[in-house]
Amino acid sequence: MSAGVVTGARRAPRKKAVISTKRAGFILRWVVIAAVGIVMGFPLFYLFSSSLMTAHDVSAYPPHLLPPVVNWANFVDAFNYLTGRTIFNTFLYSIGILVLQLVIVLPAGFALARIPFKGAAIILGFLLVPMFLPTTVVLVPLFVVTHQLGLVGGYAGMIIPIVGRTAFGTLLFRQFFVGLPPALIESARMDGAGWFRILWSVALPLARPAIAAYASITFLNAWNDYIWPLVSAPDDAHRVMSVALAPLASGQLSNIPPNIGLAAAVISTIPVLITFLFAQKWYVQGIVGTGVDY
Amino acid sequence: MALSESPSSHPTDRRLRRSVGWGSTKTRDNAAAALFIGPNIILYGLFVVIPAVAGIVLSFYSWDFVDAPKFVGMANFNAMFADPVVAQSVLVSLGFLLLGVIPTIAIGFLLANLVNAKMRGVSVVRVLYFIPLVVSAAVSSVLWAWIYQPQSGIFNQLLSLVGLKGIAWLSDTTWALPALTIMIIWMSLPLVIILYLAALQRVSEDLIEAAELDGAGPFRRLIQIVWPSVASTTILVFALELLNFIALPFEIALIMTQGGPINSTTTLSLYIYRQAFDQGKVGYASALSLLQFLMIVVIVVGARYIPRWVSAVARRNA
Repeated sequence: MSAGVVTGARRAPRKKAVISTKRAGFILRWVVIAAVGIVMGFPLFYLFSSSLMTAHDVSAYPPHLLPPVVNWANFVDAFNYLTGRTIFNTFLYSIGILVLQLVIVLPAGFALARIPFKGAAIILGFLLVPMFLPTTVVLVPLFVVTHQLGLVGGYAGMIIPIVGRTAFGTLLFRQFFVGLPPALIESARMDGAGWFRILWSVALPLARPAIAAYASITFLNAWNDYIWPLVSAPDDAHRVMSVALAPLASGQLSNIPPNIGLAAAVISTIPVLITFLFAQKWYVQGIVGTGVDY
Repeated sequence: MALSESPSSHPTDRRLRRSVGWGSTKTRDNAAAALFIGPNIILYGLFVVIPAVAGIVLSFYSWDFVDAPKFVGMANFNAMFADPVVAQSVLVSLGFLLLGVIPTIAIGFLLANLVNAKMRGVSVVRVLYFIPLVVSAAVSSVLWAWIYQPQSGIFNQLLSLVGLKGIAWLSDTTWALPALTIMIIWMSLPLVIILYLAALQRVSEDLIEAAELDGAGPFRRLIQIVWPSVASTTILVFALELLNFIALPFEIALIMTQGGPINSTTTLSLYIYRQAFDQGKVGYASALSLLQFLMIVVIVVGARYIPRWVSAVARRNA
């Protein structure tokens, strides 16, 4: 960089001025990027910081930015509040939704894209119609149907109705499989491969990046779900972390001090935060590809 | 002879078999398609199509989850118009949309342009812009309830630094809704930034350079070249944020303020939830869900005219 300035100086003085304005603009932009980044990241930093404070320090006035004493014991209390069962439920709920979604969405997307059969167009239209219904509009009737099927109050009732929202994933993977070169599938068929083998050993390996992207977003959304786990299985045995955390936000549980509540919030964020930091690429592609957290 | 023949005859043979056994290939295709699509469509029918139909049917019934549903004709719809909380909750929903959607899109667009820089280290800092993505509604509520805390909250502390007197944000009928909107904007920005960042990679650099040579400053380039070039993304982002600012205020108000103080953060969705799950009025809640659906349709259809309206105003002022 300094070399560029030197060569600029050896040339005309006007050129040097241009370079230094450019450089000033560069530095200014960097400063703005960093400053806005700090603002965006601040709430989460504050969450981590105050989750490590003692009950006294977290309520101090004026508030501390950093814990004067790091109090790791908060996490033991927070874990005891959340319970291992709730953490297990959250994993079961998210992974259950993710795996079952992939199992029913991938073959259907493939069939709609590649297997010639009558009725494909009808099914496509059928999937397209109610795609943009937000959950809150259908929450009550969805609960009614789940209730009538006798699924309320168990893992099946929590997971399967969400898995049933297949339209988006199916159409997404159909789009992906339509874009595969036809020769690949034709040559596999020529070799006598059945549809299942073509799906498993030709189409799915090619779809790996798309699957990773879709999986990241599906897992994240399930992990963060609140309203459906709350209404479909309100009992403690099936409680997920979102449902356990919610009462802490309105001070409904006055026996839980805020530093413990904030530590519990950290515990529930860490798994998705770590996956996000390591698999940022897939999350970003998942959002760009699907355009959705639904 | 036989050796050289077999590779060439092999595919011909197969093609022959296929054309002869055309019916059986077709059967196999249909069987595979049914197997691949069947479970998907059954679940979709059960948990998407049937609820949609059930929602319409139930809005003509009175039901409490327990006794047999009773047909009541238009009674739920009549009750809707007589219920003052319905009108108020529609206004609250619109308040979240008005305060939230356009600012989120505008800020997201600007920030995407800001971090769309090929500078060393920017990709590391960019993570900070994406990070609210992983924060759930519940975590965000716990966190922001503490940030907005009247005495020792950091938000009032920051305001006092610039000489403003803080208030009890979440228990103020005027300020609870804007306070929740601010935190929802924070939660929603990553998605918008990511979508715009992707769109910006497709904006023609020649066009921008040409504008630069014509002496257009960075801000004019942003408005006149970049913004129109990402119009299709803006339409997508608008639709997504519309749904987002219906879904998130519902969950977050339910968690943080329970719709209060005095219903000032009770959106239509939250009121529907109350009617169904607290009052056990399933039919009334279903009728209100239809109203909610109608509201979304009107906004989506109406929004198509916004760009035309904006450009008409811009032309008149030019």
